[in-house]
Amino acid sequence: MTAMVKAEGVHKSFGHVEVLKGIDLEVASGEVFCLIGPSGSGKSTFLRCINHLEKVNAGRLYVDGELVGYRQKGDKLYELKDSEVAMKRRDIGMVFQRFNLFPHMTALENVMEAPIQVKGQAKAEARERAGQLLERVGLAEQQRVAIARALAMDPKLMLFDEPTSALDPELVGDVLDVMRDLAESGMTMIVVTHEMGFAREVGDSLVFMDGGVVVESGHPRDVLTNPSHERTKSFLSKVL
Amino acid sequence: MTTDISKSGGSAPKDEPPRSAPEAIRAIPVRHYGRYVAAVLAIGVLVAIVLAFANGDINWNAIPDNFFDDRIMKGVRETLILTFLSMLIGVVGGITLSVMRLSKNPVTSSIAWFYIWFFRGTPVLVQLFIWFNLGFVFEYINLGPIYKDEWSDFMTPFLTALLGLGLNEAAYMAEICRAGLLSVDEGQTEASQALGMSHNKTLRRVVIPQAMRVIVPPTGNEVINMLKTTSLVAAVQYYELLKYAQDIGNSSGATVETLLLAATWYLIMTSVLSIGQFYLERYYARGSSRALPDTPWQKIKANMLSLSNRSGVR
Repeated sequence: MTAMVKAEGVHKSFGHVEVLKGIDLEVASGEVFCLIGPSGSGKSTFLRCINHLEKVNAGRLYVDGELVGYRQKGDKLYELKDSEVAMKRRDIGMVFQRFNLFPHMTALENVMEAPIQVKGQAKAEARERAGQLLERVGLAEQQRVAIARALAMDPKLMLFDEPTSALDPELVGDVLDVMRDLAESGMTMIVVTHEMGFAREVGDSLVFMDGGVVVESGHPRDVLTNPSHERTKSFLSKVL
Repeated sequence: MTTDISKSGGSAPKDEPPRSAPEAIRAIPVRHYGRYVAAVLAIGVLVAIVLAFANGDINWNAIPDNFFDDRIMKGVRETLILTFLSMLIGVVGGITLSVMRLSKNPVTSSIAWFYIWFFRGTPVLVQLFIWFNLGFVFEYINLGPIYKDEWSDFMTPFLTALLGLGLNEAAYMAEICRAGLLSVDEGQTEASQALGMSHNKTLRRVVIPQAMRVIVPPTGNEVINMLKTTSLVAAVQYYELLKYAQDIGNSSGATVETLLLAATWYLIMTSVLSIGQFYLERYYARGSSRALPDTPWQKIKANMLSLSNRSGVR
């Protein structure tokens, strides 16, 4: 399998605060990759680096074999133009903790917006596709609409940033079901989550992050049931 | 009295009356004596003012006689046109400036900062005088092959007034628009960027529509302000309501009377705009505040009710 996402020594600082202190990992194509860890461990920041919502300070980050945010010529890096960054983001869907749906649009319009505005799809076509997607995820709830909105761009990679953390407890299961369906359809997914059950059942790989570094990684069942690091053990003992 | 629930089996004690809705409260309301005192004082002052004017040397008939005078009507029209066009320049300029100000490009953002600094930092009357007197600086206006004319022909009183008011207003509108743009949640920008939308599309499709609810109500306020500020252009020889009223006053000798007439017209126009402003704000408050403010008519009805209903129950 080829690597969909490859990180080599990724560093990220906000001012003097170093949030990522050298992340190395690989996400295979078609894989469900779960990121867990305490808040402030840098997992959301890493996720945001992948579609260049945050700029990496050091190291290299590749999506589908292409460098994120820069173009390399010889040994020099050139910053990409905004339009080139936007072009690359088309292929990466992102689902936010707080949904970030466009409140001045209907659910259908939210899903239609990007295909029409970014891909130049015809309105009727976009409307039909949006209708199908909403039917697929079930229209009832904001986060599911947000997932449909991301899927409307036919991404090759989906990023989930704590998608169930802001939900009513009753709705968590429905959103996880949609994500499970998506995983079964073969979508490559990187999921920052606190849902250990989901990670265990659906995840193919799992990484435990703390303090800006990867502490432990492996198959979810192994890491969750038989952690080898003290830090992982103490974290899991509190959340499981 | 204690009842043993387990033995009585849940049935109500016999000596209690059958359950009914509790009686509505009829309390004596608090008397607000301060309100009576304030009312008496206010009426007293009002009577004193009316008496003073009634005994003063004022020709009241001059007001209704000239109320619909041709020149006054023309002045009202000019005032409205000037208000509309200056606000148009102000809004378009303001949106442009606010986007420039928030731009990542340090040159455009500095230009916008400098513009706002200058036009907001100097009195609009001074700006009007500067536009008016630019003829002393430039003899000709020469835009190469496009346009060439003598400055005095180019810079008419109308253009002086329009530029003076419009460019000044743009600086204020820029700050209003900037506040509106900043009020939109950052997650909205991130979401649209994550979908691959360009900076411009994000602004046009996602940020600006949501900023409108913050921008529109204070803009209505600016329109009302502008309507009154147009009176300043009388100082640069542009004929609008105040200038015409002064002319009539000077020729007929009824100076104060025509000023009062102009004031009445301004009041009428701002009142009409205020009503529009009220409903505009009410419209944009939907979804953000739980209870919409009462319309004036609803307020009057509520006041009448509370006056007639002395038992204090509403």
